[in-house]
Amino acid sequence: MRRITISILTTLLVALLAWGAAQSGMLRYNSYMSDPAVRDMDERIVNAFMELYPNVRVEHSTINHEDFKQAIRTYLVASPPPGVLTWFAGERMRFFTRAGLIAPITDVWQDNDWASVYSAGAQAMSRDAGEYYFVPSSYYWWAVYYRTDIYDEVGIEVPETWGQFLDNCRALDAAGYIPVTIGTRFRWPAGGWFDYLNMRVNGPEFHIRLLDGLESYESEEVRNTFAHWKQAIDAGCFIDNPAAYNWQEAADFMSQREAGMYLMGQFIMDVVPEDQQPYFDFFRFPIIDPSLPIGEDAPTDGWFIAANAANMENAKLFAGFLGSREVAEMNARDLGRLVLRTDIDPSIYTETQHKGAALLQGADYIAQFYDRDTPEELADRGMDAFVEFMANPGALDRILADLQREAERVFAARE
Amino acid sequence: MRHHPLAPLSFLLLPLGLYAVWVVFPTFATMAMAFTNWDGISPTSEWVGLANFERLFADRVFWMSLGNNLRWVAVFITIPTALGLSLALALNRNVRFDRFLKIAYYLPMVLAFVVVGLMWAWIYHPRQGLLNNTLFHLYGFAQSLGFDVNPLAARRIGWLGDPDLAMGSIIAAATWQHVGYVMILYLAGLKTVNTELLDAGQVDGASPWQLFRFITFPQLAPVTTIVLVITVIQSLRAFDLVYVMTRGGPFNSSNVLANFMYIEAFMNYNMGYGAAIAVVLFLISVGFIAVYLYRVVQQEER
Amino acid sequence: MRRLVLIVVWAGALLWLFPIAGAFVTSLRTQQDISAHGFWSVPREVSFANYAKAWERGRVSRYLVNSFIITIPSIIGMLALSSMSAYALVRFRFRLNRFLYFMFVAGMLLPFQILMLPVFQLSNRLGLYDTHLALILFHTAFQIGFCTFVLRNFLRTVPVSLFESAVIDGAGEWTIYRRIGLPLILPAFAALATLEFTWVFNDYLWALVLLSSDRLKPVTAGLSTLMGQFVNDWPLIVSGSLLAAVPTLIVFFALQRYFIEGLTMGANKG
Repeated sequence: MRRITISILTTLLVALLAWGAAQSGMLRYNSYMSDPAVRDMDERIVNAFMELYPNVRVEHSTINHEDFKQAIRTYLVASPPPGVLTWFAGERMRFFTRAGLIAPITDVWQDNDWASVYSAGAQAMSRDAGEYYFVPSSYYWWAVYYRTDIYDEVGIEVPETWGQFLDNCRALDAAGYIPVTIGTRFRWPAGGWFDYLNMRVNGPEFHIRLLDGLESYESEEVRNTFAHWKQAIDAGCFIDNPAAYNWQEAADFMSQREAGMYLMGQFIMDVVPEDQQPYFDFFRFPIIDPSLPIGEDAPTDGWFIAANAANMENAKLFAGFLGSREVAEMNARDLGRLVLRTDIDPSIYTETQHKGAALLQGADYIAQFYDRDTPEELADRGMDAFVEFMANPGALDRILADLQREAERVFAARE
Repeated sequence: MRHHPLAPLSFLLLPLGLYAVWVVFPTFATMAMAFTNWDGISPTSEWVGLANFERLFADRVFWMSLGNNLRWVAVFITIPTALGLSLALALNRNVRFDRFLKIAYYLPMVLAFVVVGLMWAWIYHPRQGLLNNTLFHLYGFAQSLGFDVNPLAARRIGWLGDPDLAMGSIIAAATWQHVGYVMILYLAGLKTVNTELLDAGQVDGASPWQLFRFITFPQLAPVTTIVLVITVIQSLRAFDLVYVMTRGGPFNSSNVLANFMYIEAFMNYNMGYGAAIAVVLFLISVGFIAVYLYRVVQQEER
Repeated sequence: MRRLVLIVVWAGALLWLFPIAGAFVTSLRTQQDISAHGFWSVPREVSFANYAKAWERGRVSRYLVNSFIITIPSIIGMLALSSMSAYALVRFRFRLNRFLYFMFVAGMLLPFQILMLPVFQLSNRLGLYDTHLALILFHTAFQIGFCTFVLRNFLRTVPVSLFESAVIDGAGEWTIYRRIGLPLILPAFAALATLEFTWVFNDYLWALVLLSSDRLKPVTAGLSTLMGQFVNDWPLIVSGSLLAAVPTLIVFFALQRYFIEGLTMGANKG
């Protein structure tokens, strides 16, 4: 009996030691890239890394995107936390750097000389208080997607001004099509409309000041934004009952040739059936005030390292690889997105990507999207307000008053 | 009943111990959180006393959610419970294919919430969904009979997109799931009913309704307690379907307390405020349940 | 009259099955087909390919064992422990009896999501974070409240005389518990086991919170990665969920004769 116990214990001990030894060459990578195409690419990246560095084993865990946003709270404070994690740039990242939960990677930036291949904007996005924390990966553009065949049939052109856009809506409506589809069941597409209208009517600088709490939602400027929104509603632009649909269901109306336009991110093409894709094109959200700088939404994803990561060396090695040209080219080629590295082979980009890149290059300011630029709590109430406004434009005064009160509370609490 | 003084302890030690560590202690930790402004991730937080609760009672969303929960309770303690009981009674005998029927009603429970939400969202889809298209044809039929209805109006009913209809739509889907649950519990309960009494009653010429009312139903009292308590708790704690189908929208018209709490605590980084919502939800539930259970326990001891 | 009742029940059953039938049909289609033609449309082509894809992408074969490792000990634990506590609450008169009963019920009253962080911190501090043991302990403990409540009420249906006669026969409490208490609440046990299996197996919130490593995840976590940030391949997700429902259905079939079939148990005889 005694001998058996000893042998069992010894085996366990050896197993434990072996497991511990194996841990030292291991790196935990948790990713929220659960979309099919993105996930495949993610795996290819991990495999490529492991080929390059055979003595580091990466344990790659993919988590549903929504769940990840909750679980990250536990990941970052667990002992030990995972090494490398995917995340968003901007306010969302700064929230964690302020809490001291992200490891500074200024050395990785310097060792790889990334300052020379990443644009100033990308660098600004990855920094907080002078230190680098973030490895930017890809971003995508937002635009008004439209069906070329419906446009041709109704005989309208790509609108350059707001007035033309409203005329297009009326024409499409008269022809029996849904002019603009939108699915606000989960609210965020309405945030896109607010971003664009606000940036076009008041300029990106005002927009960011508003989202930072330095302007009021009850100001004349914001009221003007909503006045333009109301013009679109009155012109019959929007689909009935937008809150009944999620964004994908709303996109289906375009795929089924019932709707003409959709203000959406580039990923809309991921849900359009292949045989319909040739009819999809996009244009910049119409300019309302030509004297203002142009702002566009282009949310950026990337990676960071947890502050208490177990294998910091391996984590930094991996982070360095993630920011490399090879990974950027994989992103560009396989996902149809845009990358922030400026030195990739330009022939990788398709015509569409070039068009999207040109759209963004023509912009004076890149925003991250409403719910990434303003504190989440406020974004939550803001998007509710936008959805309510679309259903009930007459209640604007009350909606703005409530929203402003919330904004004041949120920003006061952050002092 | 005299027993060894330590007998209860020997039975209760392990379950209570585990329960205390993993449930009671975190519950108290949660309640303590309600008095802070913790955001769920920072290493520090401040004590804010009753500030979260003050804010809560002034919050329009809270009252809307509470109202929705109460509506949910009202529907749940009447419809699915009555239906579940009736089904259990009907299927307790040797009906042909009874297993198929019981499984048909139980299956909704087995399906993941995401799928339930998805299926019902498609039923409720205004333009292409089953419900509106059925109504479309019904209206068309009525119109052909001469009634003044416009079939096209059927396609404009928003269901999940209509602030007045969203909550009801979700509750309907929840009822669809809950009926099977109640049925299972009553089926198990009916096994404990004394059939001799029923036989005697039948010999005496009692009608089926009288048999049910005076013999079966009273014997089902413990199960009814379970069913009512669970139903009320589920109504007050309802979360998954709301989260999956509308996330409380449009603009909070279908929000419920648990969803409100989840969004505040986990999406808005307001752990303290979320905990306050949880505490209020807990107290409301205690209010409902404790009073009821206390009376039941008193009756039992008589 | 009986005829009418049966007709209603059958009509109801078919109505009840409708969304599930819809789900099944959806799982045989492709998302492109649905996007192009709407989901209530006649499928252009059907195949079981989604099931294979869900199995593979959701890494079901890898995670299925984990699900069982988590669920089965939890069920055994919670049923064993709560039958003990239920027995104590019913059999013995002691001062804290009512209080403990309420306490077990109270555990069901808190929306469990709010416990997420405290439970996480607890397991972190106990060094149990990222282990199956943490999940098993938590599920067992958390369901004790509900199970005790249910079993306690079922135990009350057992006539006291049965217990008393055993005491007179000289049996100890544990023997009475094993020989008389447990067998008589078998239908409740079976019903509970079925319900609990459904819940614990289908849980993924706690797996999300208490686990971080890929190799420990249960099936539900794997299947939830089929949902993307933007794009959802619904037929794939639905087939994944239907796959995940299979073990629950198997358990249901295995246990249903204890609480569904027309056998009456011996409580009333003698």
